Amino acid sequence: MEFAMAAVIGVMFAAGTYMILRPNLIRMVMGFGLYANAGNLLLIACGGYQLDWQAPFVSEGVPPTGLMDPIPPDIILTAIVINFAVGALLLTLCYRVYLDHHTDNPEELSARGREEPTA
Amino acid sequence: MTLLIVPVLAPFLTAVTLALLSGHARLEKALTLTAAGALTAFVFWLLHHVDQNGPAVMVVGGWAAPWGIAFVADRLTCIMLCLSMSVGTVVLAYTLWSVEPLQQRHFFYPLFYIMLVGVNWSFLTGDLFNLFVAYEVMLIGSYGALMVGASKAQLRETMKYLAINSIASTLFVVGCGLIYATVGTLNMADLSARTAALHGDQAALVTAVSMLFLVVFAMKAAAFPLFFWLPDSYPVAPAGVNGYFAGLLTKVGVYSLLRVFILVFRQDGHELATQTLLVLSGFTMLLGVLGAMCQWEIRKILSWHIISQVGYMVMGIGLAANPAIAEIAVAGTIFYVVHHIIVKSSLFLIGGIAGRVAGSQELTRMGGVIDLAPGVAGFFLVASLSLAGMPPFSGFLSKFVLVRAGATGGNYLIVSIAIVTSFLTLYSMSKIWSYVFWQGRCCDAPRAAYRGMMAPTAILVLFTIGMGLWAQPFLRLAGAAARDILNPRSYVASVLGNAAPRETRP
Repeated sequence: MEFAMAAVIGVMFAAGTYMILRPNLIRMVMGFGLYANAGNLLLIACGGYQLDWQAPFVSEGVPPTGLMDPIPPDIILTAIVINFAVGALLLTLCYRVYLDHHTDNPEELSARGREEPTA
Repeated sequence: MTLLIVPVLAPFLTAVTLALLSGHARLEKALTLTAAGALTAFVFWLLHHVDQNGPAVMVVGGWAAPWGIAFVADRLTCIMLCLSMSVGTVVLAYTLWSVEPLQQRHFFYPLFYIMLVGVNWSFLTGDLFNLFVAYEVMLIGSYGALMVGASKAQLRETMKYLAINSIASTLFVVGCGLIYATVGTLNMADLSARTAALHGDQAALVTAVSMLFLVVFAMKAAAFPLFFWLPDSYPVAPAGVNGYFAGLLTKVGVYSLLRVFILVFRQDGHELATQTLLVLSGFTMLLGVLGAMCQWEIRKILSWHIISQVGYMVMGIGLAANPAIAEIAVAGTIFYVVHHIIVKSSLFLIGGIAGRVAGSQELTRMGGVIDLAPGVAGFFLVASLSLAGMPPFSGFLSKFVLVRAGATGGNYLIVSIAIVTSFLTLYSMSKIWSYVFWQGRCCDAPRAAYRGMMAPTAILVLFTIGMGLWAQPFLRLAGAAARDILNPRSYVASVLGNAAPRETRP
């Protein structure tokens, strides 16, 4: 299980890196999406993962064994919410950059930037 | 102490109120200044309280410390909070005059307050993952504040800034996950106690994971080789805001480096991180100042100087690898952070005023500002000499403490780099001086009104003089804060209480 997780996470990080390095803003945003989810999978793997583990509800009289560690899912939830907000901001910004600069290529963006004097 | 939530909650509520007040420009400005002033008074009271009674702790939702999220205020936190809020208030007072109506309608003030929430939160939190959340809040606010007005240049630079920070955020989450997997906790006090007991393979693993945090915080602090995003993005921020950016945002990175690499990671071989920082600091200082020397725009020069100055603070953290000089080096770093935040913010505010007076930011198109606005010239002279490290201003003492620590520890190479950098800083500042203030007049009268902005700037400039002449209380406080984080026993005890030490996860 751990090996499979490690392989998936590795491939996702590699794919994300590839996407971020493409000269296209939308692909870059997708790359960040892959990064974020690879990070979340890594957190699941860090928490330890067993198929027969139960959700961490402790009831009186029952010894609290065989339960999931609640902290990693907790962290993942927070990370998902944050990534959602940042992702939305990134997409909006990409669109505004496209409207104003008429390009979605970061390299052209910086090349044009040099000609125009900074305000 | 439940009041610890105030520096986070109050700016947040203010931001919401300000957003609702959108359209009532005068009311918005009045509330902005009142809230910031009141909060500044509160954090100074907190500093006094913590200095007298030791660290204050609050656990969110009443969950006991290693499980619940703790907010901890020790001396270092309080010093940073005071700086954040007082510079924030000064900058807000400055923007009352400099902000344009369009920018204000674009929610400039709410965004600024969201940034304050994030900055204060990252100083207060006692939990590594919570620090990540605080960073994100700060970043969201800063993206907005950077973009306000949405000129082409701003959009372009915000895109870069956002992209680079997204990568850092991913690394931060990964680091948190790996630390949790290896040590089994994310609470800073708990981590500090547990890592101190680690040896051998476990310790090496934690050291390896800690390097991820080194990358994240070095990126935030703009240390070599991760500084390239800074000199382009800061100059496009609206005038005044770049004063806060320059003062506080990179220093959040420096604060995190101090907190995490001095207090949290104490396993066998943790010196590797500080030794790495020492090497990086030399490059940061030198490359930053060399970058500044070849710029011809006042805000760009100042932005490059931020990088070179961050080098000095990182050098102090690096020197802490040697236990004999750790205390004086860390105290020097804290003193330097105080000095730097004040001086750098004031320089950006002065640069903004000079730009308004001359109607340009290009050195070659400015000139004669000493005739047009003599007060501004005086402020610039004091602030720039202080930045370069000339006595009797605060810059001299802060550099002196660090250089002495380095010389005592026998790190002569880094000390000589620091001194050379200081002279190059002076050169670069005299370039601004001779072009902006001395050169033939660029215009007959000031191009825009600037007098209202002088008062807030004066506060910062007076502070750097005061801190140089009356340094003893500041040095004492910095020394006490340094001892706090170097010997975290009282920090750990106040967070974890007297709970029996729990066993480390296998």
